[in-house]
Amino acid sequence: MAGTTAQSSFRQAFRQGHRYDPSAAARPILVFENVYKSYRPDQPVLRGMSLTIERGEFVFITGPSGAGKSTLLRLLHHTDTVDDGRILFLGRDIARLSPDAVPALRRNIGVVFQDFRLVPGWSVFDNVAIALEVIGLPQRLIRTRVGEALERVGLAGRGTDPARVLSGGEQQRVAIARAIVSEPALILADEPTGNLDPQLAIDILGLFEDIHENGTTVLFATHDRSLLDVRPRRVVILDEGKATDVPQGLADEDDLEMDDDLNDDLDWDDEQDDMDAEPLDQSSGVRQSA
Amino acid sequence: MQSASSIAPRGRLGAWRAGRSDWRLQALTIFSLSVAFICLAASLLVVTNIDAVRDRWSRAGRATIYLRDTAKDAEVGVLMEALAQTKGVAKVRKVSSEEARREIVASDDALAALPPQAFPGSLELSFSDEITDTELGEIALKLRALPAVETVETYQRWTERLGSLLGGGVTAAACLAIIVLAAVVSVVSSTMRLLLQRRKIEVEVLKLVGATDAFVRRPFVTEGATQGALGAALAIVILGGLFLIVRGRFDQQLANLLGVSPTFLPWPIALGMVMLGGLLGAATAFVSLRKLASV
Repeated sequence: MAGTTAQSSFRQAFRQGHRYDPSAAARPILVFENVYKSYRPDQPVLRGMSLTIERGEFVFITGPSGAGKSTLLRLLHHTDTVDDGRILFLGRDIARLSPDAVPALRRNIGVVFQDFRLVPGWSVFDNVAIALEVIGLPQRLIRTRVGEALERVGLAGRGTDPARVLSGGEQQRVAIARAIVSEPALILADEPTGNLDPQLAIDILGLFEDIHENGTTVLFATHDRSLLDVRPRRVVILDEGKATDVPQGLADEDDLEMDDDLNDDLDWDDEQDDMDAEPLDQSSGVRQSA
Repeated sequence: MQSASSIAPRGRLGAWRAGRSDWRLQALTIFSLSVAFICLAASLLVVTNIDAVRDRWSRAGRATIYLRDTAKDAEVGVLMEALAQTKGVAKVRKVSSEEARREIVASDDALAALPPQAFPGSLELSFSDEITDTELGEIALKLRALPAVETVETYQRWTERLGSLLGGGVTAAACLAIIVLAAVVSVVSSTMRLLLQRRKIEVEVLKLVGATDAFVRRPFVTEGATQGALGAALAIVILGGLFLIVRGRFDQQLANLLGVSPTFLPWPIALGMVMLGGLLGAATAFVSLRKLASV
């Protein structure tokens, strides 16, 4: 898997029997077009959100609780469906996939959750291998690739351990190994560090950055402000159903000029209380996406 | 990098992975199913043996020609010669009134007071195995028309009674089969509900990584088929054991009473039961999963 580029990460078999379209490689990996989603009529979660994510990007999705971070990822993973608008993944509208096409979509998207979503009774190997078994790879290849994935996340030699005996950080590594083992074009991480202490959170973020270095697009949803500061990355702030794009990240706040609205957007918990609220103009790289 | 063999799990991946942790539930289900299948297998065993007795009796190859008191020896002699040359008749034996009285009185003293005239003379016929019921009936019809013959007993009534008994047995077996079917459906369906509940996280993970509904259902359907087949097989093994015990003690008595030794279920029927169990288990698991969780 080492040396994989964004180009080679694109799986040709997105839909069974569908021919590879070379022009797809030039398209953005993800486009949200005017996406609406609400669970209750009076409280829309996403209100005409638009966003474009290019191949090989590492994007933080952040915002206060209930802003729609998890909803956004669920829409991508087709656990939820949009009320209106389009979501183009590799040029294909996944908002209205038929139920039969959903598994094929999910095989091309790796997902990591805050609660790990591992089967406690299965071994580490089994928990990772399942992502390849559903594709129908031969056992020999599965063993090789699971071994590689476990090595990448620092769990070499732990394949036979039951998942239940692992620490939280190790379980999250297994979940990451499961997400990357099939070499998906896109990794979704929904608060993957939410259950971990700060140092482990940084370690896990480092793992995602390694994965990103190999060309995989990563959407990392978090409300942990400290992670956003680790490295300057593109940040998408969700609040009140809208996405605010900060292409250069929030790490160097002093260089940013933020308007009051954005400042309000970021003021979602105590961790941001120390943020300077200087009014900045659009040239700072802050733009409203919706 | 660690070698592939060092990380490979010991067991086969896939369908059986999930079932390993639920072996107690599986064992309980198989036992419950075996109880249901024992009922069906027992009724089939009874039907099989009644059929064997009916078949044996229908081919008993015996008939008794009761002669009129007025029948002359010459007439009887001609009749015996004619019968001896008739196709299918193996043996003809004349039993006089005295001989008949002697035989009867020997087995029941209470009848000793009866005069010899109370016991008509008769001809005992033995037929070869090839003769059919129809041919026997035709011979009896012709014999009844002769002036020296009072009546002809072919014992066909007993065969007919056994036949109707067999019909009742088959009906009972069919009813039991329906009950067993309902029991299998109920047990397997309940087991699937429990398994689905216990493996909720597994199903969730499978869906998460892009498993199709068929992939998710496969281990459950496999388990349903295995439970059904093993339940039926266990029933046959238990019934076989009981059959051996009963036959060991009563084989001779049963053989004397019925004229045939009791036999166990023929292997095609036993195999059919196992296959029926497997198919029922698989179908029930498939349908109940579709209904339960649209997995």
